[in-house]
Amino acid sequence: MPLMLRRAAALLLGAFYLPLLAAADSQPTHEFFLDNGLKVIVREDHRAPVVVSQLWYKVGSSYETAGQTGLSHALEHMMFKGSRKLDAGEASRILRELGAEENAFTSDDYTAYYQVLARDRLAVAFELEADRLASLKLPPDEFAREIEVIKEERRLRTDDKPSSLAYERFKTIAYPASGYRNPTIGWMADLNRMQANELRAWYEQWYAPNNATLVVVGDVTADEVRGLAERFFGDIEKREVPAAKRPLELAEPGERRLKLHVKTQLPTLLMAFNAPSLATEENARQVHALRLISALLDGGYSARLPERLERGEELVTSASAWYDAYARGDSLFVLSAAPNMQKGRTLEEVEAGLWQELDALKQTPPSADELERVRAQVIAGLVYERDSITQQATTIGKLETVGLSWRLMDEELSALEAVTPEDIQQAASTYFTRSRLSVAHVLPEEARDE
Amino acid sequence: MSDCKALRNGLFGLLLAAGFGLAGCDEGSTALPQPGEPAKQDVAREATQPAVPTATPEKPRLESLAELGDQPLARRKLDIQSWQTAEGAKVLFVEARELPMFDLRLTFSAGSSQDGDVPGLALLTNAMLNEGVEGKDVGAIARGFEGLGADFGNGSYRDMAVVSLRSLSAPDKREPALALFNQVIGQPSFPEDSLQRIKNQLLAGFEFQKQNPGKLASLELFEQLYGDHPYAHPSEGTPESVPAISVEQLRDFHARAYAAGNAVIALVGDLSREEAEALAAGVSAALPEGPALPTTPTPEAPVAGKHHIDFPSNQSHLMLAQLGIPRGHPDYAALYLGNQILGGGGFGTRLMEEVREKRGLTYGIYSGFSPMRAEGPFMISMQTRAELTDGALDLVQQLVRDYLAEGPTEAELERSKREIAGSFPLSTASNADIVGQLGSIGFYDLPLTYLEDFMGEVQALTVEQVKTAMNKHLQQDAFVIVTAGPSVEQQPLPPPTDKPAEQPSGVPEH
Repeated sequence: MPLMLRRAAALLLGAFYLPLLAAADSQPTHEFFLDNGLKVIVREDHRAPVVVSQLWYKVGSSYETAGQTGLSHALEHMMFKGSRKLDAGEASRILRELGAEENAFTSDDYTAYYQVLARDRLAVAFELEADRLASLKLPPDEFAREIEVIKEERRLRTDDKPSSLAYERFKTIAYPASGYRNPTIGWMADLNRMQANELRAWYEQWYAPNNATLVVVGDVTADEVRGLAERFFGDIEKREVPAAKRPLELAEPGERRLKLHVKTQLPTLLMAFNAPSLATEENARQVHALRLISALLDGGYSARLPERLERGEELVTSASAWYDAYARGDSLFVLSAAPNMQKGRTLEEVEAGLWQELDALKQTPPSADELERVRAQVIAGLVYERDSITQQATTIGKLETVGLSWRLMDEELSALEAVTPEDIQQAASTYFTRSRLSVAHVLPEEARDE
Repeated sequence: MSDCKALRNGLFGLLLAAGFGLAGCDEGSTALPQPGEPAKQDVAREATQPAVPTATPEKPRLESLAELGDQPLARRKLDIQSWQTAEGAKVLFVEARELPMFDLRLTFSAGSSQDGDVPGLALLTNAMLNEGVEGKDVGAIARGFEGLGADFGNGSYRDMAVVSLRSLSAPDKREPALALFNQVIGQPSFPEDSLQRIKNQLLAGFEFQKQNPGKLASLELFEQLYGDHPYAHPSEGTPESVPAISVEQLRDFHARAYAAGNAVIALVGDLSREEAEALAAGVSAALPEGPALPTTPTPEAPVAGKHHIDFPSNQSHLMLAQLGIPRGHPDYAALYLGNQILGGGGFGTRLMEEVREKRGLTYGIYSGFSPMRAEGPFMISMQTRAELTDGALDLVQQLVRDYLAEGPTEAELERSKREIAGSFPLSTASNADIVGQLGSIGFYDLPLTYLEDFMGEVQALTVEQVKTAMNKHLQQDAFVIVTAGPSVEQQPLPPPTDKPAEQPSGVPEH
């Protein structure tokens, strides 16, 4: 998962705050469309003779319906199993031989494929990517084996990983209305009955040039990329794509509570509040206020959760807060924490402790000092981000794919600076309510109370 | 955990991380690839390898491949400058003026192999550095760095302990960030309440480990592989050792292991040589005075055998290992190349092809040498359905036997050489990449031309040399094997598809 910024959330995937970068004068960014509707964004970075190419499709598990979960991810796997010019696995073999890094990732809002390679080999990445966009084979015998690999992936990453399993279950209550409840890897029952022809239909529905964004960052020029993109992607026909509806949630679904027993030794707490994203909330300042709140709570070792709950009260051994403002639909503000068992702390006390912090945000505006610290981190982050071409490309690709503009990343600083302490108080009061809340108590199996 | 920084989460990350993060933060970290190694693939996807021979002859050729030139690839120019500070710390510096920032990375020979009879001492000392200095508690230190937008990082592994700083290079940010950094590395106060808190977090981490069969397997593997050697115990210590560690022990360890003579200073960024010299001099002077610590002893060969941990998971975790080589060993290039073909770096390897692609047994299987100060392990790891554990284990061992007996083919060798050459430009693309390479070169006393030398050696290798080196360092029946998973009735493996083992490469020679 590439969108991790300066630290990863220990428990779950989710951007803590989006990479913030400034368009430097030295890094011009260009945007254009091919005639078939493929959007191309090129960001120049001439520090090293390397380039990253990412092709983002607007499809993911939030587009899936009940009984068909896991389709987008399974299709991603099958994209490596051959197309008109390529036999199964051949593209990977070629890229490996070129010393390229390649991979793909699927999320609820997108499916993306990428290659990082020496700059003068970009054409190979384009040709391979264009071929599987235009002419995927989907051989049934390959699918029969690959679905077993996918089930192993599910066992490895979800079924045998109590924290992931708990979050998967938790999402089903936190998102009562939208497709965000679907696990990206798919329910095992759906993997067991998935058919190759469903993948064919999914591919034909969504894999069109006009439903994709090609992002290229590195030691290239716009003209060079335009030429290559037209040559390899230009002949692929535009196709009608179903209208993609934003995943909208109930604003206030009511308090939901879940008690889960998993194979863990230590209990953990999950809390989530239904909240909009930048794509679904007209008042962007509310959303940016929530992003700042997440930074105030968990934006560093000096932030409130580590300072007060982890070190001060020693209530928790770890705690985190995150909020994805850059979702295609309505989002969640999530908190998680593990009680300090050595101090005899319980999940109930942790839940009360987190509420205390949320209520403090409603009652007292953050100090100028505290906000200044967050701001300093944002400004430095703008610079640090630019050390990685992959991070830059991923930020651009994600913004575009959820229906926002890559230009937002250059407006980060001003957007966050426009947020006042009162905005923060108001956002806390609006969103941190019982009627928006889902809670899960994740407990060891032996503590099962019948 | 691919980020060496952020010990706050890293404590848990370290405990939970399975895999090869052994010697230091350069292993298993995509930010810091091994010299010449392509970054690890996360396999969120799919497969590789040989195309079917029955491929229809009219299958169109890839135009772009045919057009690739054969000129050597360019890469970011690295002018590595090196000197010693007055106190004896080795400095490696690369000037990089493109971005207004710098990365500073101190590497000490202060990993858990220096724990003595106190497992966890090295890691606790490292974790406690930023918990207090004269006049500042942990919160004040954190506010200090974060208010400047600076990232402080620390981490402790088997060979090395790392302390790092990433900051903007403007003097009004750089100077206060460095002043605080120097206080933290040189005069930590090791407050008692922090020590207790971090111990509690470690203990909680040990509890979390119990839900992670991969981690349990790896702990057992190291114990079996290394016996009495200091690599045997986990860097994070044990539930028995951690509670008793005292502030005095931390102070003593800091005074010895964080001495300037035991440090390597790697620096990359927006600084002139003069600025870099002044910065390194300041860092070095802040450290305790003292020499390098004695090096790690050579481990004895382990007893081959199989060990099982009963665990109520769906999958079984399988690890097979034997002792490999230390850093700087003359056979490393041959072993690296040999392993790339067997199971290094993801898709397209023999192991991945046979175990995942032809049989669908696993999501991923990897093998690798982890050269360390002393002999690091050669390890193969995978996970599979519990009822196929025995079959998968037999298959993997047979694949290794075949590979040792036959050696790689010419075609495999050529493909891997091209791969390694092609990935070279990626290994030094970012400042983060470069500072990692510098830290490793300095810490393991490798020549400044190490990256180029390694490339040259790899490209000159023959099939016979690779085969000889692999057989010299690996014995087919010498594996220490650990499995973790449920004990269930075993089933035979599904038959493989009849894909051929290889086909001529479509990539032109370079």
